[in-house]
Amino acid sequence: MADKITIDVLTLDSVQCAACGYMMESIAALPSDVQDMIVYKEWSIKNKDGIGKFMELKGKVLPTICIERDLVFESIIPQYEELIDEMAKRAPNDEMRGRIESLREKGFEFDKIQENLAKAGAGMSTRTDSKVE
Amino acid sequence: MAKQMLIDAYRGKRTEKPPWVPYAGVHCAFLINEPADKMLQDPELLAKGVVNTAKRYNADGIPLVFDLSVEANSIGCDLKWWADNVPSVTNHPCSDKTPKDAGLQMPTKESGRWPVLYEAARIAKPQLDELDCVLMGLFCGPLTLASHLAGVRIFTDVYKNPEFAAEVIKFAGEVGAEAAKFYAEMGCEIIAIVDPVASQIKSETFQQFVTPNSQPAIKAIHAAGATSSFFICGDCTKVMEDVCKIGTHGFAIDEQLNMLFVRDLARKHGVGFGGNLKLTLALSLGLLSPREDAIVSLAAGGQEGYTFAPG
Repeated sequence: MADKITIDVLTLDSVQCAACGYMMESIAALPSDVQDMIVYKEWSIKNKDGIGKFMELKGKVLPTICIERDLVFESIIPQYEELIDEMAKRAPNDEMRGRIESLREKGFEFDKIQENLAKAGAGMSTRTDSKVE
Repeated sequence: MAKQMLIDAYRGKRTEKPPWVPYAGVHCAFLINEPADKMLQDPELLAKGVVNTAKRYNADGIPLVFDLSVEANSIGCDLKWWADNVPSVTNHPCSDKTPKDAGLQMPTKESGRWPVLYEAARIAKPQLDELDCVLMGLFCGPLTLASHLAGVRIFTDVYKNPEFAAEVIKFAGEVGAEAAKFYAEMGCEIIAIVDPVASQIKSETFQQFVTPNSQPAIKAIHAAGATSSFFICGDCTKVMEDVCKIGTHGFAIDEQLNMLFVRDLARKHGVGFGGNLKLTLALSLGLLSPREDAIVSLAAGGQEGYTFAPG
């Protein structure tokens, strides 16, 4: 999806593991203008799809935030500005890079977290027989 | 099952063999064919689940719950319940204000699910005593509770807005001290601060916010004559020295750390350590043999201050 930035969050399980949960929330709490420019998903290694993604991206530790397939935040929950900067670096075009950078002072928004987490499948694929949709 | 052996190991002492603690959590519900959300809200089922699991796994100690939403829920956070998992916190009352401005109060024994835990402990404790198994109290550590209260912004605030972060984390540490007193009153002989997100910050941030705000709880645990521990998850290599120095009798880590590294660090600091049977790769997914994995952990851990446990 070239017009969006792809973010993969490698987790143990964002419900059971608080560190994984707040890695997911760091993406889900990005402001709505940023939400329009990203697609993201939780990959819990409790299921085979998640293990496959962990191997594919060459994950080393959990949790990890990958942006455009790069392991960017490994066992460190990012600050808002760090997330914005790393997304801007990997934006598919200058126009999007500019839009993301313009949101650097905006800060996290907490009113749509649950809705955004549901869209990312957070907590929905944590059984060994789960499939990541 | 041997309570004293477990307490000795948690305090860094030599034991005849490594004691064993299954952090069973909502797996207790699975073993009695009940949904996790039902068990966690029903004291009789919770006691039944915990005692049944202790018997089944020949545990030397077992937590009453392994649920880091209890403290947040008891001071005003809402929960989403899951049939096969612990509840998750769904709102952050301090996302735009301090605990004082949000009107948050210290929890009492009547707040949130504390009455359920008191009743479950009352039922389970004598049965566990009979099994010579320690009832353990685990509560949410200061940084994880601050995350529940303020949301993910707390990880930005510790750098950009340290006064706000300090106020939230200090409040969280005081809530933790209350939780520690509750567990001591329930008869828990081992009480642990569980702060998984403390692995996701830098060492300086740990020293600035986690170490000082764990002290009220550690003081409460030790004043009650109980044994203390600090549980941390993930790749916490960068803060391991800080964990060893925090002031608890010991600590526990998960499958992402190397047991030899952890053992040597624990012995250097004279504290107990626990771990790290691989929860996902061995126990959950079977990608490694749990038996072989257990042998590796047991060989690395040895018999001095070591508790065998899932990581």
